[in-house]
Amino acid sequence: MSSANQFSIPTINDTPSDFNILCELGNTVLSSTGNVIFDFSSCQFLRPNAIAFLGGMARLIENEGRKVTFLFKTAPDKVLTILRQNGFAHHFGLLEFSGPGLSVPYREDPVGPIRPNLKDDIIDYLTYEWLGRGWVHVSTKLRDAIVGVVWEIYDNTFEHSNSNIGLFSCGQHFPRLRILQLAVADFGIGIPRNVKRFWQNRGIELSSDRCLRWAFQEGASTKTQGTRRGLGLNLLKDFINKNHGKLEIYSQDSYALIHDKKERFQNINNSLHGTIVNIILRCDESYYYFADEIPVGPLF
Amino acid sequence: MYELKVANLVGDRCVTSEDGQKVYDEIVPKLRSNEKICLDFEGTTIFASPFFNLAVGQLLKDFSSDKLNELLEILNLGPNGILALKRVIKNSKKYFQDPKIKDALDTTIEEEAEDK
Repeated sequence: MSSANQFSIPTINDTPSDFNILCELGNTVLSSTGNVIFDFSSCQFLRPNAIAFLGGMARLIENEGRKVTFLFKTAPDKVLTILRQNGFAHHFGLLEFSGPGLSVPYREDPVGPIRPNLKDDIIDYLTYEWLGRGWVHVSTKLRDAIVGVVWEIYDNTFEHSNSNIGLFSCGQHFPRLRILQLAVADFGIGIPRNVKRFWQNRGIELSSDRCLRWAFQEGASTKTQGTRRGLGLNLLKDFINKNHGKLEIYSQDSYALIHDKKERFQNINNSLHGTIVNIILRCDESYYYFADEIPVGPLF
Repeated sequence: MYELKVANLVGDRCVTSEDGQKVYDEIVPKLRSNEKICLDFEGTTIFASPFFNLAVGQLLKDFSSDKLNELLEILNLGPNGILALKRVIKNSKKYFQDPKIKDALDTTIEEEAEDK
C-alpha cells in the first residue's frame, strides 16, 4: 500500500455548511485507498469540531492499516498556532509543544469499559482544562453541575457508539465572542442507526430526524436490560436551555439543534461517519441559572 | 442503621454506572434484610445520571416506593445531585412501577411513526 492521496483541508468553522464540508471531506477521504496526506495550505481557521473530527478520521484510517501524514509545514501561522496549542500537532508527529493559549487540549479516549482513571481523566479535563481556566466565571457548584451534564455525552458515547477507535475532544475559548466551545466526535454507529435498529426490532420504521428527536426524550434508551436509563441527552438539553447555551449534534444523516429554548431536528443531505457533538457556553455568569436549594420531601 | 459513605466507596465523582453498581451491590442485601440505610454523600462533588440509575434507580425494581422511603435515607447530597437523583427516580418509577406509563415512550413513538 505505497500510493498516497493528498487532500486539502479547507477553512472549517461550525456553521451547517462547515459540517457539510466535513461530511464531504470525510466521505472522500474514507472511500479512498492507500495512504493519506493532509495539506493545510488552503486553511485559514479550524474550529474544535473540525479538529476533533480530523483526529478521529486519521485514527480510523490508521486503524485500516493506512498511514496518515499531516503536512503541518503547509499550515498558515494562525492554524499552526491552534494545532500546536491544543496538542493536535503533537499527537500527529510534530514534536514542539507550545503553551495552551486559548485552546482546550485535543484528546483521544478509548472506548470500552470505563476505567477509574479514565473517568477521572475526563472529569479533570472538563473541570480544569475546559471550564477551569477562568474563562467562564461560575461558582464551584455550578462548574461541577456543568461537568456532570457534559459527562453524560462521554458516557453516552462509551455506552452506545460502538466506535472501534474511541472518541475525540477539542475545545476553544473565543474571547471576542465571549463563548467557550467543546466538540466531541466519534466514528461509531451513529445515533439514528442505533435508534432505528432498536425500533425495527419492534416493527417500527423511523426516519433519522425522528430517531434523533426520540433520543432527546426523557427516559429514551435503546438499552433495556436491568435498569432504566436514557436521561443523559434530556438532562443536557435542559441545562443548555436554562443557561442560554447551544447544543448541536450531527449524527449520520441527521442534525439536532438546541438553542434559545428551541429544538430543531432535521435530515441532512450528506451523511457523517459517526457523531459530532458541539457545545457552546456563554462566558458571562449572568446567563446561568443555578438552584441552590431544592426541596427534597419523600424521594421515592 | 447501616451508614455508607459514598465517597469512600467510589470517590468524589459519582458519574459512572460501574460506580453506581458498586453502591447498589453494597446496600441491596441489607435492604432485603429490612435494614435501614443511610447513603452519605459528604465529600462528593460531581453527579451524573448513569451513576444514580444503577445506585438507586434499579432499587425500584426490587422495592416499592414506600419501602424505600422507609428504609433509605440520603444525606449530604447537594442540589446538583438531588436534581439528577430526582429525575432518575421519576424515570425509574415510570419504568418499574407503573405498567401503563412504562410503555408511554413506545406509544409516543408509535404515534409518531403512524403520522409519517
